[in-house]
Amino acid sequence: MIRVVTFEPQDPKIVERLCRLLYQAFGVGCDHAGEMPLPEGHPPFDAEALARAAPSPRVYTDDRLLYLTTRPLRERSLVSGTAPTQGFAEYGGRRALVSTAGIKDLEASLKLVARHAMHQLGHCWDLHHCLDPRCAMYPPWTPSFAAGDAVFDTFCREKSEQKIRLAKS
Amino acid sequence: MPDPAPLQLAVGERVVYPNQGVCRVVSIETKEVAGQRLNFVTLRREEDGAVVMVPESKVQSIGVRKVAGRSEAERVVAFLRSDSDRATLDWKQRARTNVERMSQGGILGLAEVVKGLAVLSELRPLPTKERELYDNARHLLVAELAAALDGTPCDAEDTFDLVLFPPGRERPKRTVEEFARPPEEADLEAIGDDLLDLEGELEPQTEEGGEEPEEEEAPTPAARPAPRAKKAPAKGRPHPKSKGRPKPAAKVRHPVKKKAKGAKKR
Repeated sequence: MIRVVTFEPQDPKIVERLCRLLYQAFGVGCDHAGEMPLPEGHPPFDAEALARAAPSPRVYTDDRLLYLTTRPLRERSLVSGTAPTQGFAEYGGRRALVSTAGIKDLEASLKLVARHAMHQLGHCWDLHHCLDPRCAMYPPWTPSFAAGDAVFDTFCREKSEQKIRLAKS
Repeated sequence: MPDPAPLQLAVGERVVYPNQGVCRVVSIETKEVAGQRLNFVTLRREEDGAVVMVPESKVQSIGVRKVAGRSEAERVVAFLRSDSDRATLDWKQRARTNVERMSQGGILGLAEVVKGLAVLSELRPLPTKERELYDNARHLLVAELAAALDGTPCDAEDTFDLVLFPPGRERPKRTVEEFARPPEEADLEAIGDDLLDLEGELEPQTEEGGEEPEEEEAPTPAARPAPRAKKAPAKGRPHPKSKGRPKPAAKVRHPVKKKAKGAKKR
């Protein structure tokens, strides 16, 4: 099951719509687990540190946690350059984080947020980046990513098969 | 190329088992198997905790190696950034090379597979088998790069994807011409294949250089007409010495047979 945790107050209807989109995408239950206090720190936050320090609601072993924040995340400095950071995920782990910073109208851009959430949660189920620009696992900093549609399952065929195998096993 | 220096392993060390991923040495102990006392290295895969025991004498021949360091990770990034190693369009050769790279190529071999197939996908969608190979190579590369850079898999994957999928830019569409190799390179590859197969060693001495490309270009059509050429003279049951019968067919038969032999050799 996917448990969505918010760090700041959000419109319950928007969170509910997000949960519905994630349920459609992964085929596992998704609900809003409530609001949690934001760990101490100053924005922009380090995505990895924030995801690891975030308090956890009561969950079962195979539950995945998606943290949603409006605060900006710090860009990561990597060997190959600076990576634009919209979220973070523990590969094969339980925690994922998505930031909505920079999005003015969350209701209008909910599909894009859902796509980011699907991407990060996909990493939690050990899915890697994909070559297909229509797939939610396509690298999120590319122009194609924002152009994708998250109405229904937007994983490509191979990722869908992997995802179903991994999420339901 | 295998490292000539013997691999010294210690308990707790991280190693890479080809096609399996990053493992940790759990123990090195002596066991008696079929009356022989052998030293076994026990490895535990970090990803899922699977355990494998390898005789110490076989560790190097299997291809077990130490986890790459930061400098090697930087070399991988430099390689990915360079405009080199465009995959060949010959699927057989590509498959053979990729399998070799996966098992013996080290971290750079994994990067070569990922880059080669990613670039090829800009020309046309990958077939299922290559797609699986690409996913496996990517998975192993992420794990080893994360271990090499002492970071998270998330950062490791983004490290090489920043190069393969530059931010703010779409991936280019490739054409077949871009994958064409210069003739010298193609010749070298052909020679390399012959040396590997250890066949046709005498061919360069007996055959003229001009004939080779013709044989290489169309091995299958040359092999197919052979049964027809045999049937043609049988229809009319000609006298072997008759002059009016189609001798050209008999003439054609020899080169066809030769070509078929040549095709089999390769």
